[in-house]
Amino acid sequence: MKAIATSILIVAMTLTTANVVQAKGDDFNSVVKMIEQFYRVKHVGIPFLAKAGMKVATTAARIKGGEAKRIAEAGSVKLAVFEDQNFNGDFIKFRNSLNEALNVTWMPLIQTLSGAGEEQVYIYLKDAGDKFNVLVITIEQRDATVVQVTLSPKNLALLLKDPEGTGKAITQEATINDQE
Amino acid sequence: MKPLFHINIRMPLLALLLCIAPAAIAQVPDSRIQMGGLDHLTAKASQTVDVNIDERLMRLAAKVFSDKDEDERQVKKLVEGLKGVYVKSFEFETDGQYVAADVETIRTQLRGPGWTRLVNVTSKKEGMLEVYLLFNGDQVGGLAVLHTDDRELTVVNIVGPVDLDKLAKLEGQLGIPELGIESPKKSKNDDEK
Repeated sequence: MKAIATSILIVAMTLTTANVVQAKGDDFNSVVKMIEQFYRVKHVGIPFLAKAGMKVATTAARIKGGEAKRIAEAGSVKLAVFEDQNFNGDFIKFRNSLNEALNVTWMPLIQTLSGAGEEQVYIYLKDAGDKFNVLVITIEQRDATVVQVTLSPKNLALLLKDPEGTGKAITQEATINDQE
Repeated sequence: MKPLFHINIRMPLLALLLCIAPAAIAQVPDSRIQMGGLDHLTAKASQTVDVNIDERLMRLAAKVFSDKDEDERQVKKLVEGLKGVYVKSFEFETDGQYVAADVETIRTQLRGPGWTRLVNVTSKKEGMLEVYLLFNGDQVGGLAVLHTDDRELTVVNIVGPVDLDKLAKLEGQLGIPELGIESPKKSKNDDEK
């Protein structure tokens, strides 16, 4: 009986912590894989993008009403780009799966859905010591980007003040070619 | 000697507690409005905005807004003491995409104890605006705004000490939409709720 009771306890503890373990891994890669599996698409590797003249996080982003400044901390940008593919699918189901996977370790800040899923934007954030990690997922009809950056407290303030605008600026900063 | 039944009962009980504990921790305060009843409208809406700034984020906000920057200092002052900002907003291409029962899922909660509807609050925006405050004695514990139009449904819920002036200043910040709120000359309790 004692063995059974102990087994129940272990199972209960495992069930309670299962989601935590799931979300503790590399969430950026998990999200990229989730998009690939859900929409049956493939992301473009960064070396390929670099060859095409695109640089990661080297451009300055213009924040609403202010001078041009960099948002992401230098060297902190993780980027996955999906180009010219079909993102047809049940966007509500996708949103639910995404929230289920990330909500344990990330704080959902803002989620916007436009035109019956034609554009989906999800912004999550979490503590990273004295700085903050931000994950911005943008899915449009033919393209998508997943960007993870580290923000200073100062730039987190910008994000909190204007989540939508700053979220877009983070994605732009990570993807715009500064050679243009 | 320790009786065997103590182990048999205690262990499953402990296991049960471990399962229940996270749900108990996640229990929300009274001034938090549950908006999940509106989620099905996402499929019909042309634009959906969902803002979740919970207590952890509010604490972060209070820390990261600078005292040196005038603009940020004002926001910092406004968010101090707040425990959450939640927004759910839907815009539709055509009329009639949501029904009275959808709005009722929110209004039902606002008829609960402590909630008082403010009258004479108007908006520069078209449509109907309802503003509710949650009183804990003399203290305001939260605020809810319900804005309905033929093609729009917006619910804003601020948890913590807040008033209309504060709300008006927070419009356009922290994901709170521009509600065009015009403070009333005077406010009183609405007993017709």
